[in-house]
Amino acid sequence: MRKIIILFCLFIFSASYAVNLVKTDKAGGATLNLPTGEVGNFTISGYVKAANNGEAMIGATVSIKELATTGSVTNAYGFYSITIPQGTYTVTAQFIGYESKSVSIDLKQNTRQDFNLEETTNNLKELLITGEKKDDNLTTIQMGTDKMTIDEINSLPVLMGERDVLKSIQLLPGIKSSGDGNTGFYVRGGGADENLILLDEATVYNPSHLLGFFSVFNSDAIKDVTVYKGEQPAEYGGRLSSVLDVKMNDGDDQNYHVSGGIGLISSRLNFDGPIVKHKGSFNISARRTYADLFLKLSSDTNLRKARLYFYDLNAKANYELGPNDKIFLSGYFGRDVLGLGNTFGINWGNATGTLRWNHLFNEKLFSNTALIFSNYSYKINLDFSGEQGNIISRIQDYNLKEDFQYYASTKHEIKFGFNSIYHTIIPGDITAASNTPIGKLGLPDKYAWENAVYISDEYKPLDKLSFDYGLRFSSFSILGPGSFVTYAPGNVIGTSDVETDSVHYSKTTFIKTYYSIEPRFAVNYKLNKESSLKASYGRNTQNLHLLSNSTTSSPTDLWIPSSLNVKPEISNQVSLGYFRNFKDNTYEFSTEVYYKTLQHQIDYINGAELNFNQSIESQLLYGIGRAYGIELYLKKKYGRFTGWIGYTLSRSERQFNLINNDSWYPAKQDETHDISIVGIYQLSKKWTVSFDWVYNTGNAVTFPSGKYDVNGQVVFYYTQRNGYRMPPYHRLDLGATWIRKKTAKYESSWTFSVYNVYDHWNAYSIDFQTDPNNPQITQAVQTTLFGIVPAVTYNFKF
Amino acid sequence: MKRIFPIKYFPLITLAVFIVLLVLSSCTKVINIDLNSSSPQMVIEGNVSDQPGPIVVTLSQTVNFNQTNNFPPVTGAVVRISDNAGNAATLAESPSGTYSTTALQGVPGRTYTLTVTANGKSYTAASTMPKPVNIDTIVFTQGGGFGGRDKRWEVKFLDPAGVANYYALFVEINNVIQPDFSSSDDNLRDGDTISMRVPGGDKTVLNPGDSVTVTLESIDKYVREYYRLLLQLNNSSGFESAPPANPVSNISNNALGYFSAHSDRKKTFVVP
Repeated sequence: MRKIIILFCLFIFSASYAVNLVKTDKAGGATLNLPTGEVGNFTISGYVKAANNGEAMIGATVSIKELATTGSVTNAYGFYSITIPQGTYTVTAQFIGYESKSVSIDLKQNTRQDFNLEETTNNLKELLITGEKKDDNLTTIQMGTDKMTIDEINSLPVLMGERDVLKSIQLLPGIKSSGDGNTGFYVRGGGADENLILLDEATVYNPSHLLGFFSVFNSDAIKDVTVYKGEQPAEYGGRLSSVLDVKMNDGDDQNYHVSGGIGLISSRLNFDGPIVKHKGSFNISARRTYADLFLKLSSDTNLRKARLYFYDLNAKANYELGPNDKIFLSGYFGRDVLGLGNTFGINWGNATGTLRWNHLFNEKLFSNTALIFSNYSYKINLDFSGEQGNIISRIQDYNLKEDFQYYASTKHEIKFGFNSIYHTIIPGDITAASNTPIGKLGLPDKYAWENAVYISDEYKPLDKLSFDYGLRFSSFSILGPGSFVTYAPGNVIGTSDVETDSVHYSKTTFIKTYYSIEPRFAVNYKLNKESSLKASYGRNTQNLHLLSNSTTSSPTDLWIPSSLNVKPEISNQVSLGYFRNFKDNTYEFSTEVYYKTLQHQIDYINGAELNFNQSIESQLLYGIGRAYGIELYLKKKYGRFTGWIGYTLSRSERQFNLINNDSWYPAKQDETHDISIVGIYQLSKKWTVSFDWVYNTGNAVTFPSGKYDVNGQVVFYYTQRNGYRMPPYHRLDLGATWIRKKTAKYESSWTFSVYNVYDHWNAYSIDFQTDPNNPQITQAVQTTLFGIVPAVTYNFKF
Repeated sequence: MKRIFPIKYFPLITLAVFIVLLVLSSCTKVINIDLNSSSPQMVIEGNVSDQPGPIVVTLSQTVNFNQTNNFPPVTGAVVRISDNAGNAATLAESPSGTYSTTALQGVPGRTYTLTVTANGKSYTAASTMPKPVNIDTIVFTQGGGFGGRDKRWEVKFLDPAGVANYYALFVEINNVIQPDFSSSDDNLRDGDTISMRVPGGDKTVLNPGDSVTVTLESIDKYVREYYRLLLQLNNSSGFESAPPANPVSNISNNALGYFSAHSDRKKTFVVP
């Protein structure tokens, strides 16, 4: 308790110190109340937007020609702020793909300067990879960070011709695919639930459609994608391994557009335009697949009645209330449907809603207040052989978030804020006749309240040296009502944990609160114009855990909160990196080494029953983990040919008391080698071709090491969990885009892609059985999901 | 173990997943895979029944994956069974690997203890025989089920209320014991009429005139857990399966297999 009070006071003190520096007078202007020592400094601030559609530019640089080392980068809403001494300056705003704009300012008072940048009209528009300054990989303090623009994502060849954010980031080193047909991805040896996936600040619990074939991100609606794989800045928390921050397009604030695409498996439509010209805009995107239409042609009567599709909708509106105030409303709704006639159906999906208010207190203090709703649910309908009923399972968050950015000076940029989330988890809300087994099942709801406050400072004491350090203090409270059972580990791995205590509460009470302090630290030392050295350390805790016992993931995997038995997972990660650019920043090279320790990891007893289990915590085991590796990355950023090669050599291991005799064993997602080679070539004004080749060591799996007979059946004998490897996975994809027509009024293009060009049969699963043709021998059977898959999409834009 | 949702629904979800994958050009093939060898492990299967007949314990060994399915018997072992009513017997071996005795009676309520000494190692197990549960009827049902074309034979019986009951169902077709069997318990169905499908009905074609004998065994908690894990292991596929593991045996010293004292009720019918 004392710890909270001390840290809370620290937070309030720093916040008030920051705010006291600047006071706003009645007229809305600002006077500076500067600490002594700084005389005559004034602030240039404003927003950088695209001239043609008003889209706020994230990560645009604003620099001062006369002060070569001074500059600012626009934040997630396009805002920048620079405080410098009085004088005359040339201020330039830049963003790759756009013409830079310079303005001469005679700085005698705080000045508001917005920029509207025009798109480059070069005939051969280079597909440039970052929206940042040329040597940004050297100057950004954060390491283990990757940004991808939508242009880049759209030019990569992908499965079924669907542009896909999740598939594209898996082409970067350190980020691994969980395999064909699986949801989620692994970052630096962490599990699929250790990634915080945000869509306009709302948490997305299941980022995949149709069991991993597509992601929930419709690239028509997306503006910016950033992945943090190493140390996460203090404003993020709640997951151990990474943050995937996805931001939606605001929409054109001047003209209306309709665009979309028609493909073999799915189609999409996008509609955007102004609400009031130059003041507000909206963007709506929708998508649906229709793979199941092909099922209707099947000769099998069962398959004819099958339903298999997904749809999703992204919507966003924003409005400028005044020069200092802007509000945004964004939402996502998507649903996957899988069913067979009337007997069985399951549907699942996410729904998110975010209401945000940007407010400029003054030229130096930017604030974003957000009210967020996030929900992931699945529903199963059953109606056969006398069993009838439906089950709904859901996780739901209500979230209030406040983020301040205080641009104190050219040396300090301070961020602080808080985040409060109320979680409700309903493991199974059952509607069925009470005399049936389903009807008698009672799964209690769970409630939790998660809070965090943070403060961080980006400090540049010297031109060559910069720091980003911060502290995040978080708490997780388990709330009643409910029954709370405590378990102690069972004696043998096959047996459930033993119940030692059980208490029941009938109203809202605080059962237990876990506190954690998460320091974050990153330093960047610029060795010379071409290279820099970076180091970082971060500590993270995670209080929501995804239970997934199977070798493949499923939309019915359950999220559980920390409890009396399940302690918060903790990770500590250190990393070191060397960054070097060649040929005037045309080539970027980096190597990063990391080491991560993990505590309170969860694994399962043998034969664990996780589905609809009233005492699910009795099936869990707890242990520790570690992950370490080296990532190498070479990227060509400019020219007709662009692309990259990424290689990761890594290890991810776990150690549990009752598993594998307490020795370190590889985690499922341990993949020793991971290689990605990507190339994009601009053949002409109309044609772009691209390829990617990936290779990774197979996942760790449990295979038999013998066999025996029980009751007349052959049974396989296992010696170790995860003692074997799946065969290596590799494939080549090719893609081409043909811009058929491009005028001011109308654009159309065709996208062709071939997935798995040389038809390598990558193993989705390997099963063991007695040979049906010869009962005297046993054999291994491999299932592959995708051979070679071509796709064509027609895209249009009005 | 507390209440679990009837796991039989999960194969449906697995099947649904399979349909998705079937749509999208999935393919299977037999592959050559290098699996490690392991030293031979002891496998013990022991059954004590309340029906007339000998108590039989078989001892065999594991073999490596790429060997043929000939599992060597363990000969010359000392196998003893005793009950908690002061009776005990040493089992005689005939044929090799199979040990039996008629000296002990299987009586519901008694606890039987097995000890095996072989190759310098010893193994023990205990199992308490529950009271028998009678089979009420056997019905043939068509329609319903997943896909609406399910055909099956169901064994119906009344579960004794107020007591935790565990069951296994075995089947003989024309006096040939079938390897498929099923197992369940009365969780959430205490005191109800429970129906269990006759196992192997999908794979085995029951022809008119076939004589089918079903045996409903009442088993103890530990044997039920062993059977549950064994069936889960053998009926899982690559999709949605838990990492496989050896089913937890009620026999000590890392033996594979089980020792079950069970009371049986049988019913025979002829397929019309």
